[in-house]
Amino acid sequence: MELTNKKLNLSTGPHVRSPLTTRKVMADVLIALMPATINGIIHFGFHAFCVVMVSVLTAMLVEGAFCWAAKKPCTVGDLSAAVTGLMLALCLPAGVPLYIPFLGSLFAILVVKCLFGGLGKNIMNPALAGRCFLLISFASAMTNYSIDGITAATPLARYSAGKSIDLMRVFLGFDNGVIGCSIAALLLGGLYLLIRGGITWEIPVCMTGSYAVAVYIFSGRALSLEEFLFQICSGGVLMGALFMATDPVTSPVTSAGHIAYGLLVGTLCALFRVKGSLPDSVSYAIIMSNLLVPFIDLALVKKPYAYREPRNKKQMSDLIPRAAVILAVITLCSGFILGGLNELTKDTIASIKLAANAEAYRAVMPDAETFGSNEAMDAAIAALDGGTYGTDFGRATINEAIVGKDASGNVVGTIISATSGDGMEGNITLAVGISADGTVLGISFTELNETPGLGSLCGESPFKDQFNGVQTTRFSLDNSATKIDSVAGATISSRAVVNAINAALDFYAANAQ
Amino acid sequence: MKTTFRGGVHPDDCKKYSRDIPFETYRPKGEVVIMLSQHIGKPAKPVVAKGAAVQVGQLIGEADGFVSANIYSSCSGTVKAVEPRRSVNGKMVQSVVIDNDGLFTLAEGVGAKRDWKSMSKEAILDAVKWAGIVGLGGAGFPTNVKLMPKNPDQIEYIIANGAECEPYITCDDQLMRNYADEIVAGMEIILSMFPKAKGVIAIEKNKPEAIAAMQKACAGKSNLQVLPLKTKYPQGGERSIITVVAGKHLRMGMLPADVGCIVDNVATIRAIYRAVAFTEPLYERALTVTGDIVASPKNLFVPIGTCFEELLEAAGGIKEGKTITKALYGGPMMGGAFADLNCPTLKNNNALTILGVDPVEVAQKQMTACLKCGRCNRTCPLGLTPQMMAVAAHNKDYEAYEKTFNGLECVSCGSCTYACPAKRPLMQIFAQTKAEIMAAKRQAGGGK
Repeated sequence: MELTNKKLNLSTGPHVRSPLTTRKVMADVLIALMPATINGIIHFGFHAFCVVMVSVLTAMLVEGAFCWAAKKPCTVGDLSAAVTGLMLALCLPAGVPLYIPFLGSLFAILVVKCLFGGLGKNIMNPALAGRCFLLISFASAMTNYSIDGITAATPLARYSAGKSIDLMRVFLGFDNGVIGCSIAALLLGGLYLLIRGGITWEIPVCMTGSYAVAVYIFSGRALSLEEFLFQICSGGVLMGALFMATDPVTSPVTSAGHIAYGLLVGTLCALFRVKGSLPDSVSYAIIMSNLLVPFIDLALVKKPYAYREPRNKKQMSDLIPRAAVILAVITLCSGFILGGLNELTKDTIASIKLAANAEAYRAVMPDAETFGSNEAMDAAIAALDGGTYGTDFGRATINEAIVGKDASGNVVGTIISATSGDGMEGNITLAVGISADGTVLGISFTELNETPGLGSLCGESPFKDQFNGVQTTRFSLDNSATKIDSVAGATISSRAVVNAINAALDFYAANAQ
Repeated sequence: MKTTFRGGVHPDDCKKYSRDIPFETYRPKGEVVIMLSQHIGKPAKPVVAKGAAVQVGQLIGEADGFVSANIYSSCSGTVKAVEPRRSVNGKMVQSVVIDNDGLFTLAEGVGAKRDWKSMSKEAILDAVKWAGIVGLGGAGFPTNVKLMPKNPDQIEYIIANGAECEPYITCDDQLMRNYADEIVAGMEIILSMFPKAKGVIAIEKNKPEAIAAMQKACAGKSNLQVLPLKTKYPQGGERSIITVVAGKHLRMGMLPADVGCIVDNVATIRAIYRAVAFTEPLYERALTVTGDIVASPKNLFVPIGTCFEELLEAAGGIKEGKTITKALYGGPMMGGAFADLNCPTLKNNNALTILGVDPVEVAQKQMTACLKCGRCNRTCPLGLTPQMMAVAAHNKDYEAYEKTFNGLECVSCGSCTYACPAKRPLMQIFAQTKAEIMAAKRQAGGGK
């Protein structure tokens, strides 16, 4: 009969497989990231779309090319490269030049993924490794959050500068930040993944929970509900908790492992944010924890049910995995050690700074022999508490007021150190020497990182010399009696310098007896 | 009582093809090949020779030792040969080949009614042993041995396993719907041997008719309870069902009796009733012929020894224009694949499943590297970590496989393999690793 002529397939069971494939798992992640991507493109415009496309296409092309060159079967179809590319793009500021996503994707796929053996073999999350690579290599472009050429600070940066934040705008993704910054969209995607089984609750919950607790411990400040929400919603914590830390390849495989890993990531993240000075804490926290995953996996091997003690005999302490406790203790200890070191060395660092500044102070007041303080001005500076000074000077702060005296003890004038946060490449700090009648004796820069050849010219003659010997309370770049000619091509830097000087003059006028 | 265990998977149950089709009794037309090894343990010794005339229910193979079982003729006719024949798993097994005369004349004494209530415990055990009853759910362990635990006083639960969690198979469902009274009577027979025990009839919730029928049959019996279970594979696995009913977990090498349970398939329990109350040896069983490409799937009473090829024809063959890619004895999760359908049914074959598309073949094309997604860990009903076991197996780190990950505990239920999105052949890796470790142990002189 015809049945026997046909050769039957032989194999062991199971002879039925779930419809889920690697490609579907990856497609689920892509779908989950779609709300954040779409929000980013709508909010930041066409350039954001270009960043996303360059990142995704580079990732896929590089993987394809590597497979071809290494004579391996092409693995682009499993969509894991597309996921890496999209995740990287969502972690980039919208305004980055297009070579940034290209290089980031190239590094992520080629170095972190393919060279380690491809899918499932990488020891770090490729997208985050790509982001960290970019943060180190292109620090200024990676921390320049600007829309349509106008520089603007992220909510976290503004928060650190003491400004209040509209949480709802952050939540909806209308505020400034990376392309995938909409908290609502990220939560929506995370919920989708949770329902689809792509992620489990352990890592997101433990990471955000331990993060909030650790921020409190390290900073010593009690968290209000609003601050708690802000801490969770800012700086990529949710992006990390829902999509980055949960990357299956670089996270532990068991539930207990997930809990320990989530606690570790959250604690490290808080440590880096409170005590660290890096522009990113989440990425570094996750990448460092990635490296500890093999240890967590082996330390927390799941016992088969038949080998477990019955639940009712268990002590409460047995329910928390031991390795989780050890890891938490290690991170907490290192946090306190770092915090303590900071406290111990604070005065030394301050005196070293003072020595460096002293040179600048002498430059603006060559007649002064000794420098002292002015109680009224010190009190006024303390009252500002590092906050923005005035309303007309952009993000300007007053750092220090020093009274200069000549050899015979007569007051020569006052030196005010002021900082403007509106520089093209970060802060500009300068010292202004002011005589008793309010005449500018000279200015000197103690912090100037502006674009070489453009903004950096602010620190040189002739720009710098325009202020000398002028008696005014207000300089201006526009037409007026005390007009300053800005450095060509560096309007932003010039304006920041003028703002800092105006703030210093204003402060002097308000506080000089 | 709980309704399920931790872990498990939810494959499509595919029972729609045959779930509502009533039983038919199939009468084989050609020769009947009755294998002398249809159970775990030593093969039976043949007690007939070539040329002997046999009748239905006549002893043709005698149990050889404690763990062994009697074998009966399932047709009448003449013994054509006693020779090795190809079994479902491809091995050659000593068999009695009977030239079937098509009359199915019953042997003397078969079907004589007995009043089991007046029978002693020993008499019941003798009847079960005499009838050659083995676990009909798939394992084929001699039932009389199961009914003689070392600790009869500590048996708390007699569990009738009607979960039927394997996809496709429906013969237990039909048995419970149509022979609920006989299954309940079988439970009462077993309970009469263990007066302290409670009877639990566990059925997955995807069989509401069977649950209703069994509940009706159990009405008014205080020591019997129907337990509807969540529909989930491997709910019908011995360890899973014990976890649900008794809340205890078995370790490797432990018997259900060690945690106070005796588990028997509902078909086995009905066979016990037939053997004790009707002096009927096990020569026929319920079997499902099913599959997406089978023309008319059927639930059949099949004389043991009937050729599988004949059974497929009895179900109308395969649909026009379709070709068989894979044929399975049992269900698709734990069943085995046929190399050739031309082999006889055994006592423990509960289904012939025909597949038009082989999911294993499809899966091989979709295979990628392991994603470490942990789905295998979440689905393992025993709480093992298949992902890490696979790494240890790949590294040939047998010590870690056995000691750190308890890999020898694996019962090959296939849940991890089913769930794996990367389509890794986990169960195959574990089966091979287990075999290698056991072989090494045997060589070292230890182990079993």
